[in-house]
Amino acid sequence: MKNLIVFFLFLFVLTISREAFAQVYKTEGGNVEFLSKAPLNEFTGKSEKLNGLIDLEKNDLDFFIDLNTLKTGIGLRDRHMRENYLETKKYPFAEFVGKIKEKVTIKPGESKDVTAVGKFKIHGIEKEISVPGRITATSNNEIKLEASFKILLSDYKIEIPKVVFYELAEEQTVSISAILKK
Amino acid sequence: MKVRFILIMFFLSQPIMAQLERKLDNETQEVDLIFHAPRHINLLTVEPLDKKTLHFAIMHTFGPLNGGVQNLFGLDNGANIQFSFEYALGEDFSLGASRSSRDKFYNLYGRYHLLKQTQDDAMPISLSMMGGAGVNTSDYTFLQNENPSFSERTSFAAQLMLARKFSDKLSVQVSPMMAYFTDPNPIFFIEGDQNLYLAVGLSGKYKITGRSSLTFQYIPNLNNDLRNNVGVGIDVEAGGHVFQMYFVTSQALNEQYLLAAGNGRIGEEFRIGFNVNRVFATGRKRK
Repeated sequence: MKNLIVFFLFLFVLTISREAFAQVYKTEGGNVEFLSKAPLNEFTGKSEKLNGLIDLEKNDLDFFIDLNTLKTGIGLRDRHMRENYLETKKYPFAEFVGKIKEKVTIKPGESKDVTAVGKFKIHGIEKEISVPGRITATSNNEIKLEASFKILLSDYKIEIPKVVFYELAEEQTVSISAILKK
Repeated sequence: MKVRFILIMFFLSQPIMAQLERKLDNETQEVDLIFHAPRHINLLTVEPLDKKTLHFAIMHTFGPLNGGVQNLFGLDNGANIQFSFEYALGEDFSLGASRSSRDKFYNLYGRYHLLKQTQDDAMPISLSMMGGAGVNTSDYTFLQNENPSFSERTSFAAQLMLARKFSDKLSVQVSPMMAYFTDPNPIFFIEGDQNLYLAVGLSGKYKITGRSSLTFQYIPNLNNDLRNNVGVGIDVEAGGHVFQMYFVTSQALNEQYLLAAGNGRIGEEFRIGFNVNRVFATGRKRK
Protein backbone atom coordinates (compact mmCIF):
# COMPACT_ATOMS: atom_id res chain seq x y z
CA MET A 1 0.00 0.00 0.00
CA LYS A 2 2.72 2.37 1.01
CA ASN A 3 4.64 1.49 -2.11
CA LEU A 4 1.62 2.25 -4.20
CA ILE A 5 1.26 5.70 -2.63
CA VAL A 6 4.91 6.44 -3.26
CA PHE A 7 4.47 5.31 -6.82
CA PHE A 8 1.45 7.55 -7.47
CA LEU A 9 3.14 10.45 -5.75
CA PHE A 10 6.12 9.93 -7.99
CA LEU A 11 3.89 9.82 -11.07
CA PHE A 12 2.03 12.92 -9.88
CA VAL A 13 5.21 14.91 -9.44
CA LEU A 14 6.40 13.72 -12.81
CA THR A 15 3.22 14.92 -14.55
CA ILE A 16 3.17 18.22 -12.69
CA SER A 17 6.71 19.04 -13.63
CA ARG A 18 6.05 18.13 -17.23
CA GLU A 19 3.02 20.44 -17.30
CA ALA A 20 4.90 23.27 -15.63
CA PHE A 21 7.96 23.14 -17.81
CA ALA A 22 6.43 22.08 -21.09
CA GLN A 23 7.90 24.50 -23.59
CA VAL A 24 6.15 23.33 -26.75
CA TYR A 25 5.04 26.07 -29.13
CA LYS A 26 3.06 25.44 -32.30
CA THR A 27 1.66 27.23 -35.33
CA GLU A 28 -0.30 26.36 -38.44
CA GLY A 29 -0.18 29.80 -40.02
CA GLY A 30 3.44 30.85 -40.31
CA ASN A 31 4.70 32.88 -43.27
CA VAL A 32 7.17 31.56 -45.80
CA GLU A 33 8.55 33.52 -48.69
CA PHE A 34 11.10 32.61 -51.33
CA LEU A 35 12.88 35.06 -53.56
CA SER A 36 14.12 34.13 -57.03
CA LYS A 37 16.53 36.69 -58.42
CA ALA A 38 17.39 35.83 -62.03
CA PRO A 39 19.03 38.18 -64.53
CA LEU A 40 15.76 38.92 -66.35
CA ASN A 41 13.14 38.21 -63.76
CA GLU A 42 12.80 38.66 -60.02
CA PHE A 43 9.79 37.24 -58.24
CA THR A 44 8.68 35.96 -54.87
CA GLY A 45 6.48 33.09 -53.84
CA LYS A 46 4.52 33.22 -50.62
CA SER A 47 2.52 30.97 -48.34
CA GLU A 48 0.83 31.61 -45.02
CA LYS A 49 0.46 27.94 -44.23
CA LEU A 50 3.72 27.10 -42.50
CA ASN A 51 3.17 24.43 -39.84
CA GLY A 52 5.70 24.41 -37.07
CA LEU A 53 6.64 23.16 -33.65
CA ILE A 54 9.38 24.38 -31.32
CA ASP A 55 10.17 22.59 -28.09
CA LEU A 56 12.37 24.92 -26.05
CA GLU A 57 12.82 22.31 -23.34
CA LYS A 58 14.28 19.67 -25.61
CA ASN A 59 15.47 22.14 -28.26
CA ASP A 60 13.53 20.30 -30.95
CA LEU A 61 12.30 21.90 -34.15
CA ASP A 62 9.84 20.53 -36.67
CA PHE A 63 8.50 22.59 -39.57
CA PHE A 64 6.70 21.68 -42.76
CA ILE A 65 4.75 23.38 -45.51
CA ASP A 66 2.36 22.12 -48.16
CA LEU A 67 4.11 23.40 -51.30
CA ASN A 68 0.75 23.58 -53.10
CA THR A 69 0.00 26.67 -50.99
CA LEU A 70 2.90 28.69 -52.48
CA LYS A 71 1.65 31.51 -54.70
CA THR A 72 3.81 33.65 -56.98
CA GLY A 73 1.06 35.96 -58.21
CA ILE A 74 0.80 34.37 -61.66
CA GLY A 75 -1.42 31.30 -61.84
CA LEU A 76 0.33 29.72 -64.79
CA ARG A 77 3.73 30.17 -63.17
CA ASP A 78 2.36 28.45 -60.04
CA ARG A 79 1.14 25.54 -62.16
CA HIS A 80 4.49 25.19 -63.90
CA MET A 81 6.25 25.44 -60.53
CA ARG A 82 4.10 22.65 -59.09
CA GLU A 83 4.11 20.43 -62.14
CA ASN A 84 7.61 20.89 -63.59
CA TYR A 85 9.89 21.99 -60.78
CA LEU A 86 8.68 21.03 -57.31
CA GLU A 87 6.60 18.08 -58.58
CA THR A 88 4.18 18.56 -55.73
CA LYS A 89 2.06 15.58 -56.63
CA LYS A 90 4.99 13.31 -55.79
CA TYR A 91 6.61 15.53 -53.15
CA PRO A 92 3.93 17.75 -51.60
CA PHE A 93 5.95 18.95 -48.58
CA ALA A 94 9.07 20.87 -47.76
CA GLU A 95 10.23 20.12 -44.24
CA PHE A 96 12.86 20.93 -41.69
CA VAL A 97 13.49 18.72 -38.67
CA GLY A 98 16.30 19.61 -36.35
CA LYS A 99 17.60 21.06 -33.13
CA ILE A 100 18.40 24.50 -31.81
CA LYS A 101 22.07 24.60 -30.83
CA GLU A 102 21.69 27.09 -27.99
CA LYS A 103 19.64 26.75 -24.84
CA VAL A 104 16.88 29.34 -25.08
CA THR A 105 15.61 30.80 -21.81
CA ILE A 106 14.06 34.16 -22.53
CA LYS A 107 11.55 36.32 -20.74
CA PRO A 108 8.76 38.16 -22.54
CA GLY A 109 10.19 41.04 -24.56
CA GLU A 110 13.59 39.47 -24.92
CA SER A 111 15.01 37.87 -28.03
CA LYS A 112 17.93 35.65 -28.83
CA ASP A 113 19.89 34.79 -31.96
CA VAL A 114 19.99 31.07 -32.46
CA THR A 115 21.26 28.52 -34.94
CA ALA A 116 19.22 25.56 -35.99
CA VAL A 117 20.84 22.48 -37.45
CA GLY A 118 18.92 19.69 -39.03
CA LYS A 119 17.59 18.08 -42.15
CA PHE A 120 15.84 20.12 -44.85
CA LYS A 121 13.84 18.09 -47.33
CA ILE A 122 12.25 19.21 -50.58
CA HIS A 123 11.66 17.47 -53.93
CA GLY A 124 12.36 14.16 -52.19
CA ILE A 125 15.97 15.10 -51.38
CA GLU A 126 17.21 15.55 -47.81
CA LYS A 127 20.19 17.67 -46.86
CA GLU A 128 21.82 18.67 -43.61
CA ILE A 129 21.67 22.46 -43.25
CA SER A 130 22.33 25.10 -40.63
CA VAL A 131 19.97 28.05 -40.35
CA PRO A 132 20.59 31.25 -38.40
CA GLY A 133 17.49 32.77 -36.87
CA ARG A 134 16.08 34.82 -34.07
CA ILE A 135 13.58 33.86 -31.41
CA THR A 136 11.61 36.56 -29.60
CA ALA A 137 9.33 35.93 -26.65
CA THR A 138 6.38 38.19 -27.40
CA SER A 139 4.43 37.13 -24.29
CA ASN A 140 4.29 34.38 -21.69
CA ASN A 141 2.90 31.84 -24.10
CA GLU A 142 3.92 33.19 -27.47
CA ILE A 143 7.22 33.26 -29.33
CA LYS A 144 8.18 34.66 -32.70
CA LEU A 145 10.65 32.97 -34.99
CA GLU A 146 12.40 34.67 -37.86
CA ALA A 147 14.93 32.92 -40.07
CA SER A 148 16.37 33.11 -43.52
CA PHE A 149 18.51 30.76 -45.56
CA LYS A 150 19.59 30.09 -49.11
CA ILE A 151 19.15 26.93 -51.08
CA LEU A 152 20.58 25.86 -54.43
CA LEU A 153 17.96 24.21 -56.61
CA SER A 154 20.54 21.81 -58.05
CA ASP A 155 21.24 20.47 -54.54
CA TYR A 156 17.69 19.18 -54.52
CA LYS A 157 17.70 17.93 -58.14
CA ILE A 158 15.35 20.68 -59.30
CA GLU A 159 16.56 21.27 -62.83
CA ILE A 160 16.28 24.57 -64.64
CA PRO A 161 16.17 24.24 -68.42
CA LYS A 162 18.62 26.52 -70.24
CA VAL A 163 15.88 28.60 -71.88
CA VAL A 164 14.37 29.34 -68.47
CA PHE A 165 17.72 30.12 -66.87
CA TYR A 166 17.26 33.88 -67.18
CA GLU A 167 13.83 33.78 -65.53
CA LEU A 168 14.43 31.40 -62.65
CA ALA A 169 17.37 31.74 -60.28
CA GLU A 170 19.49 28.78 -59.27
CA GLU A 171 19.87 30.23 -55.76
CA GLN A 172 16.66 30.85 -53.87
CA THR A 173 16.40 32.82 -50.63
CA VAL A 174 13.86 31.42 -48.21
CA SER A 175 12.55 33.56 -45.35
CA ILE A 176 10.40 32.39 -42.50
CA SER A 177 8.40 34.40 -40.02
CA ALA A 178 6.03 32.72 -37.62
CA ILE A 179 4.30 33.33 -34.33
CA LEU A 180 4.04 30.13 -32.31
CA LYS A 181 1.72 29.61 -29.36
CA LYS A 182 1.93 27.32 -26.38
CA MET B 1 9.25 -5.62 -9.51
CA LYS B 2 8.15 -2.25 -8.21
CA VAL B 3 11.22 -0.55 -9.61
CA ARG B 4 10.68 -2.11 -12.97
CA PHE B 5 7.05 -1.01 -12.95
CA ILE B 6 7.99 2.55 -12.15
CA LEU B 7 10.65 2.51 -14.82
CA ILE B 8 8.08 1.34 -17.37
CA MET B 9 5.64 4.02 -16.31
CA PHE B 10 8.38 6.62 -16.48
CA PHE B 11 9.27 5.49 -19.97
CA LEU B 12 5.64 5.62 -21.09
CA SER B 13 5.09 9.07 -19.67
CA GLN B 14 8.02 10.45 -21.68
CA PRO B 15 6.57 12.42 -24.55
CA ILE B 16 7.62 10.89 -27.84
CA MET B 17 9.88 12.93 -30.12
CA ALA B 18 7.80 15.93 -31.07
CA GLN B 19 6.82 15.70 -34.72
CA LEU B 20 3.89 17.21 -36.54
CA GLU B 21 1.64 15.17 -38.73
CA ARG B 22 2.21 16.01 -42.42
CA LYS B 23 -1.12 16.88 -43.92
CA LEU B 24 -2.15 18.65 -47.12
CA ASP B 25 -3.75 22.04 -46.80
CA ASN B 26 -6.43 21.23 -49.37
CA GLU B 27 -7.19 17.62 -50.28
CA THR B 28 -9.62 18.52 -53.06
CA GLN B 29 -7.20 20.67 -55.00
CA GLU B 30 -7.75 21.03 -58.73
CA VAL B 31 -5.35 19.11 -60.95
CA ASP B 32 -2.77 21.19 -62.77
CA LEU B 33 -2.34 21.43 -66.50
CA ILE B 34 -4.60 18.80 -68.04
CA PHE B 35 -3.31 20.27 -71.29
CA HIS B 36 -0.36 22.60 -71.83
CA ALA B 37 -2.51 25.49 -73.09
CA PRO B 38 -6.09 26.55 -73.83
CA ARG B 39 -5.43 25.35 -77.38
CA HIS B 40 -4.39 21.89 -78.46
CA ILE B 41 -3.52 21.57 -82.18
CA ASN B 42 -6.70 23.26 -83.54
CA LEU B 43 -9.21 22.56 -80.77
CA LEU B 44 -9.94 24.47 -77.60
CA THR B 45 -9.34 22.66 -74.31
CA VAL B 46 -10.73 22.70 -70.77
CA GLU B 47 -7.54 24.42 -69.59
CA PRO B 48 -8.82 27.53 -67.77
CA LEU B 49 -7.23 30.95 -67.62
CA ASP B 50 -6.71 32.73 -64.32
CA LYS B 51 -8.85 35.77 -63.70
CA LYS B 52 -7.61 38.86 -65.52
CA THR B 53 -5.11 37.02 -67.68
CA LEU B 54 -4.95 37.28 -71.43
CA HIS B 55 -4.12 34.30 -73.58
CA PHE B 56 -2.64 35.06 -76.97
CA ALA B 57 -2.26 32.38 -79.61
CA ILE B 58 -0.88 32.78 -83.09
CA MET B 59 -1.60 29.75 -85.22
CA HIS B 60 -0.51 28.79 -88.75
CA THR B 61 -1.23 25.96 -91.12
CA PHE B 62 0.61 25.73 -94.43
CA GLY B 63 0.02 23.99 -97.77
CA PRO B 64 -0.05 20.21 -98.20
CA LEU B 65 3.19 18.21 -97.88
CA ASN B 66 2.74 16.55 -101.28
CA GLY B 67 4.05 19.66 -103.02
CA GLY B 68 7.41 18.18 -102.01
CA VAL B 69 10.63 20.10 -101.74
CA GLN B 70 9.60 22.18 -104.80
CA ASN B 71 7.08 23.95 -102.54
CA LEU B 72 9.19 23.38 -99.44
CA PHE B 73 6.62 20.89 -98.14
CA GLY B 74 3.77 23.37 -98.32
CA LEU B 75 5.47 26.34 -96.69
CA ASP B 76 5.43 28.18 -100.06
CA ASN B 77 1.68 27.84 -100.49
CA GLY B 78 0.81 30.61 -98.11
CA ALA B 79 -0.33 29.99 -94.59
CA ASN B 80 -3.71 30.32 -93.02
CA ILE B 81 -2.90 32.42 -89.99
CA GLN B 82 -5.12 32.96 -86.99
CA PHE B 83 -4.56 35.44 -84.21
CA SER B 84 -6.61 34.76 -81.13
CA PHE B 85 -6.96 36.67 -77.91
CA GLU B 86 -8.85 35.29 -74.94
CA TYR B 87 -9.38 37.24 -71.73
CA ALA B 88 -10.56 35.71 -68.45
CA LEU B 89 -13.25 37.79 -66.76
CA GLY B 90 -13.37 35.33 -63.89
CA GLU B 91 -11.83 32.01 -62.83
CA ASP B 92 -14.49 30.16 -64.81
CA PHE B 93 -15.34 32.43 -67.72
CA SER B 94 -13.36 33.90 -70.58
CA LEU B 95 -14.19 35.76 -73.78
CA GLY B 96 -12.17 35.43 -76.95
CA ALA B 97 -11.81 36.97 -80.36
CA SER B 98 -9.94 35.49 -83.28
CA ARG B 99 -9.24 36.33 -86.87
CA SER B 100 -8.26 33.78 -89.51
CA SER B 101 -6.78 34.93 -92.80
CA ARG B 102 -8.70 32.24 -94.72
CA ASP B 103 -11.95 34.00 -95.73
CA LYS B 104 -10.88 36.91 -93.46
CA PHE B 105 -12.98 35.29 -90.79
CA TYR B 106 -13.65 37.01 -87.46
CA ASN B 107 -14.91 34.87 -84.59
CA LEU B 108 -16.13 35.87 -81.14
CA TYR B 109 -16.39 33.13 -78.56
CA GLY B 110 -16.79 32.41 -74.89
CA ARG B 111 -15.58 29.55 -72.74
CA TYR B 112 -17.21 28.58 -69.47
CA HIS B 113 -15.79 26.00 -67.08
CA LEU B 114 -18.52 24.05 -65.31
CA LEU B 115 -16.46 21.38 -63.54
CA LYS B 116 -12.81 21.04 -62.69
CA GLN B 117 -11.07 17.74 -62.00
CA THR B 118 -9.61 17.45 -58.49
CA GLN B 119 -6.52 15.59 -57.32
CA ASP B 120 -8.44 13.33 -54.93
CA ASP B 121 -10.93 12.42 -57.69
CA ALA B 122 -13.87 13.85 -55.74
CA MET B 123 -14.47 15.37 -59.19
CA PRO B 124 -13.07 12.92 -61.77
CA ILE B 125 -13.45 15.13 -64.87
CA SER B 126 -13.28 18.68 -66.11
CA LEU B 127 -16.20 19.96 -68.15
CA SER B 128 -16.29 23.20 -70.12
CA MET B 129 -18.52 24.61 -72.81
CA MET B 130 -17.81 26.94 -75.66
CA GLY B 131 -20.01 28.97 -77.98
CA GLY B 132 -18.98 31.24 -80.82
CA ALA B 133 -20.27 33.40 -83.63
CA GLY B 134 -18.27 34.43 -86.66
CA VAL B 135 -18.42 36.35 -89.89
CA ASN B 136 -16.61 35.98 -93.20
CA THR B 137 -15.39 39.42 -94.29
CA SER B 138 -13.86 38.49 -97.65
CA ASP B 139 -14.44 40.88 -100.51
CA TYR B 140 -16.98 39.36 -102.91
CA THR B 141 -17.94 42.60 -104.72
CA PHE B 142 -16.86 40.97 -108.00
CA LEU B 143 -20.02 38.86 -107.65
CA GLN B 144 -22.02 42.08 -108.07
CA ASN B 145 -25.66 41.13 -107.32
CA GLU B 146 -24.75 37.90 -105.57
CA ASN B 147 -22.45 39.50 -103.04
CA PRO B 148 -23.56 37.74 -99.81
CA SER B 149 -25.14 39.88 -97.12
CA PHE B 150 -23.76 40.14 -93.60
CA SER B 151 -26.17 37.56 -92.20
CA GLU B 152 -25.40 35.16 -95.06
CA ARG B 153 -21.74 35.40 -94.08
CA THR B 154 -22.31 34.41 -90.46
CA SER B 155 -21.68 31.02 -88.91
CA PHE B 156 -21.89 29.66 -85.39
CA ALA B 157 -20.16 27.02 -83.30
CA ALA B 158 -20.82 25.30 -79.99
CA GLN B 159 -19.12 22.50 -78.14
CA LEU B 160 -18.87 20.70 -74.86
CA MET B 161 -15.40 19.76 -73.68
CA LEU B 162 -15.04 16.84 -71.34
CA ALA B 163 -11.53 16.01 -70.20
CA ARG B 164 -9.63 13.93 -67.72
CA LYS B 165 -6.00 13.77 -66.72
CA PHE B 166 -5.59 10.00 -66.29
CA SER B 167 -2.01 10.16 -65.06
CA ASP B 168 0.92 12.55 -64.98
CA LYS B 169 1.46 11.61 -68.62
CA LEU B 170 -1.91 11.00 -70.23
CA SER B 171 -4.80 13.43 -70.71
CA VAL B 172 -7.78 12.91 -72.98
CA GLN B 173 -10.58 15.24 -74.06
CA VAL B 174 -13.83 14.40 -75.86
CA SER B 175 -15.66 17.36 -77.42
CA PRO B 176 -19.08 16.93 -79.04
CA MET B 177 -19.15 19.82 -81.52
CA MET B 178 -21.58 21.54 -83.84
CA ALA B 179 -21.24 24.25 -86.45
CA TYR B 180 -23.97 26.11 -88.31
CA PHE B 181 -23.52 28.12 -91.51
CA THR B 182 -26.41 30.49 -92.29
CA ASP B 183 -25.60 30.11 -95.98
CA PRO B 184 -22.98 27.50 -96.98
CA ASN B 185 -22.04 29.48 -100.08
CA PRO B 186 -19.65 27.52 -102.40
CA ILE B 187 -17.58 30.68 -102.81
CA PHE B 188 -16.47 30.27 -99.18
CA PHE B 189 -13.45 28.08 -98.47
CA ILE B 190 -15.64 25.21 -97.31
CA GLU B 191 -16.33 21.86 -98.90
CA GLY B 192 -19.64 21.09 -97.20
CA ASP B 193 -22.96 22.25 -98.66
CA GLN B 194 -25.20 21.77 -95.63
CA ASN B 195 -26.03 24.25 -92.89
CA LEU B 196 -25.46 22.07 -89.85
CA TYR B 197 -22.32 20.07 -89.11
CA LEU B 198 -21.97 17.65 -86.20
CA ALA B 199 -18.73 16.03 -85.06
CA VAL B 200 -16.85 14.70 -82.06
CA GLY B 201 -13.45 16.16 -81.36
CA LEU B 202 -10.96 13.88 -79.64
CA SER B 203 -7.78 15.33 -78.19
CA GLY B 204 -4.98 13.46 -76.50
CA LYS B 205 -1.76 14.47 -74.78
CA TYR B 206 1.03 12.13 -73.75
CA LYS B 207 3.90 13.65 -71.82
CA ILE B 208 7.31 12.46 -72.97
CA THR B 209 9.60 14.72 -70.93
CA GLY B 210 8.97 17.22 -68.15
CA ARG B 211 8.08 19.97 -70.57
CA SER B 212 6.99 18.33 -73.81
CA SER B 213 4.19 16.09 -74.93
CA LEU B 214 3.05 14.20 -77.99
CA THR B 215 -0.33 15.47 -79.11
CA PHE B 216 -3.15 13.93 -81.08
CA GLN B 217 -6.41 15.13 -82.56
CA TYR B 218 -9.17 13.27 -84.40
CA ILE B 219 -12.49 14.84 -85.38
CA PRO B 220 -14.89 12.30 -86.94
CA ASN B 221 -17.86 13.93 -88.69
CA LEU B 222 -21.27 12.61 -87.71
CA ASN B 223 -23.70 13.92 -90.34
CA ASN B 224 -21.78 14.30 -93.60
CA ASP B 225 -19.37 12.52 -95.93
CA LEU B 226 -16.46 14.92 -95.56
CA ARG B 227 -13.16 13.35 -94.58
CA ASN B 228 -12.37 13.34 -90.88
CA ASN B 229 -9.75 15.64 -89.41
CA VAL B 230 -6.58 14.03 -88.07
CA GLY B 231 -3.66 15.76 -86.44
CA VAL B 232 -0.49 14.64 -84.66
CA GLY B 233 2.13 16.83 -83.12
CA ILE B 234 4.29 17.89 -80.24
CA ASP B 235 3.82 20.53 -77.52
CA VAL B 236 6.87 22.14 -75.95
CA GLU B 237 6.84 24.45 -72.94
CA ALA B 238 9.64 26.96 -73.02
CA GLY B 239 9.85 29.76 -70.49
CA GLY B 240 6.22 30.85 -70.39
CA HIS B 241 5.50 30.02 -74.04
CA VAL B 242 3.89 26.86 -75.31
CA PHE B 243 4.97 25.92 -78.82
CA GLN B 244 2.80 23.47 -80.70
CA MET B 245 4.04 21.88 -83.92
CA TYR B 246 1.89 19.41 -85.79
CA PHE B 247 0.79 17.71 -88.98
CA VAL B 248 -2.90 18.09 -89.73
CA THR B 249 -5.26 17.31 -92.61
CA SER B 250 -7.01 20.70 -92.71
CA GLN B 251 -5.93 24.27 -93.03
CA ALA B 252 -8.89 25.42 -90.91
CA LEU B 253 -8.13 27.00 -87.55
CA ASN B 254 -11.53 27.94 -86.14
CA GLU B 255 -14.34 25.63 -85.04
CA GLN B 256 -16.79 26.38 -87.87
CA TYR B 257 -14.27 25.77 -90.64
CA LEU B 258 -12.79 22.74 -88.89
CA LEU B 259 -16.14 21.00 -89.31
CA ALA B 260 -17.19 22.35 -92.73
CA ALA B 261 -13.99 22.98 -94.70
CA GLY B 262 -13.15 19.36 -95.43
CA ASN B 263 -9.87 17.53 -95.01
CA GLY B 264 -7.06 16.12 -97.12
CA ARG B 265 -5.98 12.49 -97.03
CA ILE B 266 -3.83 11.42 -94.13
CA GLY B 267 -0.17 11.28 -95.05
CA GLU B 268 0.75 13.13 -98.23
CA GLU B 269 -1.96 15.74 -97.76
CA PHE B 270 -0.89 16.49 -94.25
CA ARG B 271 -0.03 20.11 -93.64
CA ILE B 272 2.56 21.52 -91.31
CA GLY B 273 1.01 23.56 -88.51
CA PHE B 274 2.54 25.72 -85.83
CA ASN B 275 1.00 27.52 -82.82
CA VAL B 276 2.59 29.80 -80.25
CA ASN B 277 0.69 30.30 -76.98
CA ARG B 278 1.47 32.93 -74.41
CA VAL B 279 -0.38 34.05 -71.29
CA PHE B 280 -0.13 37.64 -70.06
CA ALA B 281 -1.14 38.59 -66.54
CA THR B 282 -2.87 41.94 -66.28
CA GLY B 283 -4.14 43.96 -63.34
CA ARG B 284 -1.33 42.69 -61.15
CA LYS B 285 0.00 44.92 -58.41
CA ARG B 286 3.64 45.84 -58.84
CA LYS B 287 5.71 46.25 -55.74
